[in-house]
Amino acid sequence: MNEGPLHKFYGWFTGLSLLVGGLVVVAYYKDEFRSWKDYQRHFIQEEVRRATKPQQRALAEATPVQIRQIVLPELQRVDRCTTCHLAVEDSSYGGYPQPLAYHPQHDRHPFDKFGCTICHRGQGRATTMADAHGNVPHWDAPMLPLRYIQASCGQCHQAADNPAAPELARGSQVFEANGCRGCHKLGNSGGMVGPELDKVGARRSSEWLKKHFLTPAAVTPGSGMPPQKFSEPDLEAITLFMLSQTGESVPGFYASMKVIPSANEGRRLFQQKGCIACHAIGGQGGKIAPALDDVGLRRTPAWIVQHFRDPQSVSPGTVMPRFGFTEPEVRALTEFLVHLRDQQVALSLPSLMSPVERGREIYRKYGCAGCHGTDGKGGVPNPNAKTAQQVPALTYVADGYKKDEIKKLILNGQHEITPLDPKLPPPPLYMPAWRGTIADAEFDDLITYLFSLKPKGEDLGF
Amino acid sequence: MNAPWPSRLWQRFARTRVGHSVFRVGLPHSNLERAQAMVSSFLLHVQPAKVNRHALRPTATLGLGLISLYLFFILTGTGVLLMFYYVPSTDRAYDAMKDLQFVVSAGLILRNMHRWAAHLMVLFVMLHLCRVFYTGAYKRPREFNWLIGTGLFLLTLGLSFTGYLLPWDQLAFWAITVGTSIAGYAPVVGPKLKYLLLGGNVVGQEALIRFYALHVIVLPGLAALGICIHLWRVRKDGGLARPDEPADSVQQIELSQLPTNKSYGLMELARGTTPQVGKNPEDEIFSWPHLIFRELLLFLAVVAVVLFLAVFWNAPLEQLANPIHPPNPAKAPWYFLGLQELVSYSAFWGGVVVPGLLVTVLVLLPYLDRGRAGVGRWFARERTVANTIFTVCLVVAIALTLIGSVFRGPNWSWQTPWQPPPAVVEGH
Repeated sequence: MNEGPLHKFYGWFTGLSLLVGGLVVVAYYKDEFRSWKDYQRHFIQEEVRRATKPQQRALAEATPVQIRQIVLPELQRVDRCTTCHLAVEDSSYGGYPQPLAYHPQHDRHPFDKFGCTICHRGQGRATTMADAHGNVPHWDAPMLPLRYIQASCGQCHQAADNPAAPELARGSQVFEANGCRGCHKLGNSGGMVGPELDKVGARRSSEWLKKHFLTPAAVTPGSGMPPQKFSEPDLEAITLFMLSQTGESVPGFYASMKVIPSANEGRRLFQQKGCIACHAIGGQGGKIAPALDDVGLRRTPAWIVQHFRDPQSVSPGTVMPRFGFTEPEVRALTEFLVHLRDQQVALSLPSLMSPVERGREIYRKYGCAGCHGTDGKGGVPNPNAKTAQQVPALTYVADGYKKDEIKKLILNGQHEITPLDPKLPPPPLYMPAWRGTIADAEFDDLITYLFSLKPKGEDLGF
Repeated sequence: MNAPWPSRLWQRFARTRVGHSVFRVGLPHSNLERAQAMVSSFLLHVQPAKVNRHALRPTATLGLGLISLYLFFILTGTGVLLMFYYVPSTDRAYDAMKDLQFVVSAGLILRNMHRWAAHLMVLFVMLHLCRVFYTGAYKRPREFNWLIGTGLFLLTLGLSFTGYLLPWDQLAFWAITVGTSIAGYAPVVGPKLKYLLLGGNVVGQEALIRFYALHVIVLPGLAALGICIHLWRVRKDGGLARPDEPADSVQQIELSQLPTNKSYGLMELARGTTPQVGKNPEDEIFSWPHLIFRELLLFLAVVAVVLFLAVFWNAPLEQLANPIHPPNPAKAPWYFLGLQELVSYSAFWGGVVVPGLLVTVLVLLPYLDRGRAGVGRWFARERTVANTIFTVCLVVAIALTLIGSVFRGPNWSWQTPWQPPPAVVEGH
């Protein structure tokens, strides 16, 4: 017989079969026993324990162990967080340890419409804790620390006037007041000296941002950004505001919720929609339609709302057209009109401000303070600049320039800053050209403001 | 002889009415039955009823071709299952990866198996090619099978490369961007070829759908066809190359030389190496069970290795593809890293001339190297020159691949793997 026996291979066959079988078992084990199932069984046990009636008990016992998910096609998300966080909507689980804790205050943002990750971030599709909370390599949106959660409001709602997100509003104010916009573009306006900030919240962590504000060069070598001296609350607020800039474009319904109906928002709309062309406030504006100073006394809010929706229905024969405002816009405008008697609200209408006040707003709006300091007092370091290694103050602009000259300087900018020592690197900060950014109509007010900065009575000595 | 229990079980089943209708032969006891077992089975008749003793030695081939074939089977199986979940859309492909990982039963293990088997297949097809070279097995009459083999090698690379894009993560996107831009360096046709592959100038939805169609239909179809021809040619060319092959076993019978007053059966027109020609019955042993059992063992081993890798190591998945954030450095798949390293020296010489020359020489090899000596023996003394040239090329290729994959850091600068990565400076 020329065929050798196969017996020597039987051991191999048995061994390899066992190995393959064992690996299949391991694979099955890893696939079948997942931590979320334990969480669900624990929840079911808890439900059974709490059941008082037999039907409740039977219902709880019959709860299937399965993936739960909120599918949000509009947001292009699938959030499976409720696979483990099973009691988010059950207030009787208030105070329970995670993952079974109750999520308070979700009436305005129902889970079936919003899911979880649009606010909390993390990885909605994941079903293990590390992956879902986003603390894994290759996932750029880890869960937002709870103290910064208001940053998420800014994705849909305007940051500046949001009574429900005071930290976000404060951050926005810190951003504008410190003139960050002078160097950094955000939204549609801002300088090009520093990087754009539109998606900074998706790229950076809170730790990075805070370190960056205090000592920019420590996290971004070679950065010319002057270190910021924020108070602790301001630092937290602007960090939060930066985190809110994710560049996430929310669709349809979510975007329509942008306007939070507040008097401030109403004032902005009132200016933007040009109401003043027909209606006067404080003696300023058109005379075609009734003045609105005391409209809050004459009309009920319900009447005003109805008047916006359909002017003819409450005031037949009126010439006011239907503007087709959205519901939040109607509510914001109404809020503004009702509170018009409040001096604070009325006075901040640009048409009621003095040129210097309007100029100060423009100075603020374009972030001039970022380099030239609050009220043009200067003091912002610009290493190796001939002007005492600082960005020049604007206090004495009135002495050195004519109106035309200063306008030209602002329009064209000054890209070459004379260095103190030509051998050292050139100063990082420079004056960008504002042509095309600052509107022509704004220059008069801005320059009037700049000229007003000179301390009163100082020129008497010359 | 007390047969092991699986044999006894098989025997019992084969004796039933159903079993007999399916398999015809039970566990064979006579040589006639052993031959029947092979011949009467559709799946087994691809192989001869008897094989040469030499072919069964593990060192003859190291089983590299068969391992590649098994990996192809595994890839087809897991690939079809993955197709049930995968959607070739830039909006949904990445999500499908996440769903496979987190909610599909055995989804992650399937993807892992597919990924690791794909890498292994590229590796083993390369090793198979080396084996065929070093044993001189591409020589007459097997020249054409070498040609098909190189075609299958390129198809394997194409399969792996097209599959690389499908997860639609950063790794996929940039590897394909780099890979296709290497293709774009070719003179005249390069840019057109790149445009044809991508369906545009950049990697996007069109590229994804093209790569998908190539990956699941076109290339596997061609590969399956190529494999069939490859295996068929192995038999037609007289089985595996072996040292004691009679030199005159290949004679082409010219039809015109045949007398015309006789009609011929097919067996008379066939080439010289039909199973009967040039074979010593003493050297032949029955495929069943000797070949079949060894093949089964090898299959189990391959499955075990792939499963082992898949259970303990997850297939990579980076961030969602982001066309405006290239990783630094962006690297092609590992088997193209030698090429990328060459391209980093010179786009034209490294990206076009050298690889073009190599592929041409590889394809034409059996027609260039026509000596008959040293067939079927490893590193035959008579083939020292050819083996040396091949080895030098191989070492250079491995070195370049190694440099490209391990020693290249940001901006393709030299970097040793044990030194800490340089701090990434983000300028303003």
